[in-house]
Amino acid sequence: MFDLLIQGFAAVLSLQIFLLMVAGVAVGIVFGAVPGLTAVMAIALCLPMTYGLGPAAGISLLIALFVGATSGGLISAILLKIPGTPSSIATTFDGGPMMEKGEGAKALGVGIVFSFLGTIASIAALAFIAPSLAKVALSFGPHEYFAIAVFSLTLIATLSSGSMAKGIFAGVLGFAVSTVGIAPVDATTRFTFGQVELNAGFSILTVLVGMFAVAEIIKVAETSRRPVDGSVKPPLVKIKGFGFSMAEFLGQIPNAIRSSLIGISIGILPGIGAGTSNIIAYIAAKKRSKTPEQFGKGTIEGVVASETANNAGIGGAMIPLLTLGIPGDAVTAIMLGGLMIHGIQPGPMLFLTQAPLVYTIFAALIVSACLMLVLEFWGLRLFIRLLAIPKHILLPIILVLCAVGAFGLASRVFDIWTILGFGILGYAFVKAGIPTAPFIIGFILGPMAETSFRRGLQLSRGDFTGFLTNPISGTFLALAALSIVWQLYGEYRASRGPAMANPLKLGGEE
Amino acid sequence: MRLKDVIVGLAMTGAGIIYLRMTAALPTKDGVDAATVPTMLAWMMIALGLAELVGAWRRHSAQATRDLTAPTLATATVPPAPAVSSGMVTVVLTLVLIAGFVAALRPLGFPIATALYLFLQFLLLTPRSSRPPVALYAGLAAGASALIFATFRYGFDLLLPAGPLVAWLN
Repeated sequence: MFDLLIQGFAAVLSLQIFLLMVAGVAVGIVFGAVPGLTAVMAIALCLPMTYGLGPAAGISLLIALFVGATSGGLISAILLKIPGTPSSIATTFDGGPMMEKGEGAKALGVGIVFSFLGTIASIAALAFIAPSLAKVALSFGPHEYFAIAVFSLTLIATLSSGSMAKGIFAGVLGFAVSTVGIAPVDATTRFTFGQVELNAGFSILTVLVGMFAVAEIIKVAETSRRPVDGSVKPPLVKIKGFGFSMAEFLGQIPNAIRSSLIGISIGILPGIGAGTSNIIAYIAAKKRSKTPEQFGKGTIEGVVASETANNAGIGGAMIPLLTLGIPGDAVTAIMLGGLMIHGIQPGPMLFLTQAPLVYTIFAALIVSACLMLVLEFWGLRLFIRLLAIPKHILLPIILVLCAVGAFGLASRVFDIWTILGFGILGYAFVKAGIPTAPFIIGFILGPMAETSFRRGLQLSRGDFTGFLTNPISGTFLALAALSIVWQLYGEYRASRGPAMANPLKLGGEE
Repeated sequence: MRLKDVIVGLAMTGAGIIYLRMTAALPTKDGVDAATVPTMLAWMMIALGLAELVGAWRRHSAQATRDLTAPTLATATVPPAPAVSSGMVTVVLTLVLIAGFVAALRPLGFPIATALYLFLQFLLLTPRSSRPPVALYAGLAAGASALIFATFRYGFDLLLPAGPLVAWLN
C-alpha cells in the first residue's frame, strides 16, 4: 500500500501535474467562493482541458478543482455572510458574526485550517475503507448491484426534495433519459428517432453541464437586470499567522474529530452530502458545547464544526464512487464522468487492475489539501477581489467554456444543442421545485440498474424473488423501502407542524 | 389549489404518458425485453404525477380548512399575487441568444460567433441601474473569444470550428 502511495506522490509531484493542481485548486477556490458558481461548473468547464492530458494529470486536475471548490465557500460565507456553496451554510452562522465583531481574520484562519484537517481525515478514511470495501464488492453480482442502485436512487430522491413524489419523479425521469440509445443485453435501439448521434445515448457530461451550468445561467438571467441596491463589497482582512492561538486550536480537537466523523459518514451515503453534513455537525457541536449560548453570536466552534464536516465529505463521497462506481451527488457524478472520459471505470476491479492510479488519486487528494491550505492563506486578497467580478460578465464566458467542453467530446455541434436542451429542462426543474440531483443520479445509475435487473432475472430464470432472498440485495431493498416510509412519516409530521420537518432536509442540494 | 402545483402535476403525468406511448412502439419479445424497464418507469412517472396532483388538492383542502378556522389571520397573511416576471423576457432572449450562438458556430466559426454572443449577452444581462460600457464589453467579448479559441485550438489541440477564418488560420 505505501509503495503504491509513494508511486502516486511521485506521479502527482511531477512539474506538469503539480502546476495543473495549483491552477486547479485556485480556480476551484474562486468557484467555491463566488456565490452562484459551483464545483460542478468548475469541473465541467475544465474537463475539456483534460482531454489531451494523461489519466493521472487529468484526474489530478479534477480532484484539485473538487477540493478547492469545496473549501472556497468559506471565504464568502465569512466575509459576505453568503455561503458560496450549500456546504458552507452553517459557516455563515458564526463566521458572519465573527466578521462583524472584528474577528474575521480568526474566522478565516480557523475555517481554512480545519477545512484542511477535515480533508486529511477523510482521505485517511478513504485510504483505509475503500480497498476493504472494494474486496467485498468484488463478490457482488447483478442482484446486489441492482439493489444498491435502487437504494442509492431512493435515498437521494427522498432526501433531496421537499416533496417525495417530485424527488422520485426526478430520479425516474433521469433513468428514463438514460434508456435512450442501445439497450443493454439485447442491443435493441430505443428512442433515437433515427438520429445516429443518439445511438450511444446522451453523454454524462452534456447532461450534467446542461442541468447545472446552463440552467444556472438561465436562472441568473431571470434576475440579473434587476437594479442593484448597492454593491456588496467584500472587506479586506489581514491575517497574521493562522489568526488563532495554539490553546484555541487544541481546544477544538474533539469538535473537529466529531465533525470529521459526521462529515465522512454522511459523505459516504448517497444524496446527503456536504450540504447537510455541515449543518448536522454544527447542531452536534452546539449540543456538546459548554457554551451553546455563544453559537450564532460568533464562536470558532461553529466555524470549526461546519468547515471540518463539509471537507470531510470529500473523502467520504469518493468511497462509493471508487469502490462501487456510484456517485453520491452532482460533484462526484461529474467526477465519474471525468474518470470515464479518461477510460477509467470506477468499481471494485479498479483496485485490482489500476491500483497505481487509485493511489495517485489518494496522493492528489492529499497534495490538493496542502495546496488549498497554502493558497487560501497566500491568495486570500486575490480571491476576495475576484468576488467582485459581476456575474453578468462571468456567466456568459462560463457558458462558452461549457459549449467548448461539450463540443470537445466528439467534435459535434449536436452535443452543444444537447446541453442547451438539458439546460432548459434544468431551469424547468428549478421553476417546478423538482430537485436536480436525483435526475442526475437516475441517469447515471439507470444503465447499471437495468443491466443488473435483466441479468439478475436471467440468473434466477425470471424469478423476481431472487432480489429479495439474496441477503445483500434484500437488505438494500429493505433499506430503500425504509427510506420511503421514513420520508412519508416526515412529510406527515411536517404537514402537522413546520417545526417537525425532517432535519436532513436542511442544507439540501438545491 | 395553486395553479403551479396543478401544472407541475399535469406535466409529470403527461411526461409519463408520452414516454409510455414511445415505449409501446418498441419491439417486444417473450419475458423481460428492452421495453420492460421503460414501461415500468412510464407507469411510475404517471403514478407520481397523479400523486403530486392529489397532494396539491390535499394541500389546498388543508389550507381552505385553516382559512375557515382563522379567517382574520388568513386574510392578513395572504401574500399579494406576484406580478408577471419581467425577468422571463430576459430568460427567453438569453435562450434565443444561446440558440443563435450554437447555430452560428459552423457558418461563422467559433471566434466570430462567440464574440457576437458574448457582447450581446453582456448587454442583455447588465442590470438596469447601470449604463452598459459598450466599448469595454466589445473588447472583453473579442478578447475572451480569441483567448478561448487560441487556448483550445493551439494549447489543447481541439479543432473548434473556424468558419470563414479557416483559410487565414491555416
